[in-house]
Amino acid sequence: MTQTHSAGTLQPAKRRRWNATDLGLIAVFAALVAASALVAAIPVGGLGVPITLQTLAVMLTGLALGPGRAFAAVGLYTLLGLAGLPIFSGGRSGLGILAGPSAGYIIAFPLAAAAVGWLAAVVIRRTVKFRAVLLFVSAMATSIVLVHGLGIAGMMVNAKLDFAKAFLADLPFYPGDIIKNVLAVTVAIALHKAFPDLLVRRVRQLPQRATTPQAAAPEATAPEASAQQ
Amino acid sequence: MRGHGFLLANYVPGTSLIHRMPLWLKFLLVLACGMASFLIVDWRLAAAALAVLCGLFLLSGAGPMRLFRAVRPLLPILLVIGAFQWWQLGGPVAARIVLNILLCVVAASLLTATTPLHRLLDGVVSLARPFRRFGADPERFALTIAIMLRSIPFIAGAFSDVRDSARARGLERNPRALVLPVFITTVAYARHTGEALAARGLGEPED
Repeated sequence: MTQTHSAGTLQPAKRRRWNATDLGLIAVFAALVAASALVAAIPVGGLGVPITLQTLAVMLTGLALGPGRAFAAVGLYTLLGLAGLPIFSGGRSGLGILAGPSAGYIIAFPLAAAAVGWLAAVVIRRTVKFRAVLLFVSAMATSIVLVHGLGIAGMMVNAKLDFAKAFLADLPFYPGDIIKNVLAVTVAIALHKAFPDLLVRRVRQLPQRATTPQAAAPEATAPEASAQQ
Repeated sequence: MRGHGFLLANYVPGTSLIHRMPLWLKFLLVLACGMASFLIVDWRLAAAALAVLCGLFLLSGAGPMRLFRAVRPLLPILLVIGAFQWWQLGGPVAARIVLNILLCVVAASLLTATTPLHRLLDGVVSLARPFRRFGADPERFALTIAIMLRSIPFIAGAFSDVRDSARARGLERNPRALVLPVFITTVAYARHTGEALAARGLGEPED
């Protein structure tokens, strides 16, 4: 009780808190990023070049959930991986990752999800035409600036490479990234068609706001709360 | 992949001194090793520190096989970096760089090998406690972690189901057919989870 009181006094600005559905989305998308790092890579097209799905899942989390929830989901994944759950690609885990050459990529994931989520929210609110192209441009810009930028920085810090060599070492990831971003955008557009209220909510909630505390109070003590599934 | 067994792969039960150390002390040890990798400039010092940590690892009863397994994923890339930096910067510097990375990896795997998973997760949840005054809610944070862990096997199963059905239709090389149904399933599953939480009065903000 004191906790809610202090939260109310400290935050006079009205901030929409995440409800149970948001928590479910954050948790399940964090699990999705973890699962896509663990399942085997898929062969693409006729070339048979295998791609791992992890960066695809990170980008799609951003495109599907928007900045805040995507940052929370991918951040949760990164945090638990660093805490020691074997959920990074190849079953790696732990703080030791931060010392390895791929540290920059791991740190970039939550930031990239947030950035692409913000861009996607702008694109979906403002535009109707050429959404696919605009979403692809935002995904590509995010992965070039954040993922590859921080990836190169990580290699420079941990493997002590200079910029030119780190850039060259990072270059082979570009073709796969382009394929993955195309795929991410097609999937994201299908997702927003299947669930139109996933990212942008057009529900107005004006007067109902005041009555919710009274309505919620008796429900909390209802006997069903303890019932098992 | 259908169970949670893979999540427990790292922990080795035991009662050694390191097992009984509090979590924050182990965390400080890992942090110190991370700092050391920037401060140590002599490769012999790095080798000595690595030897001490390997000794601690073996003392905890985790065994040499597990030590090797903790380092194995990094070995190829470390070989490449070591050879390249030897050519570029000379032997001692290359040895220092590689040894410092190994030092951090061994320290971190010492932490995960001697701490049970639930203690680690409790540690992560307690990270949220200082942020309570900014609106963070440790209870909801812990709930989210629990839902995430329970969802990983479901989604991994969805990946293999979708792969099977794509193969049955002769589409095993079509990336869209391999990926899109997984994401649709994921969002639907997340929403059902959210509804189930709301129906039980869980996970809603307290205000």
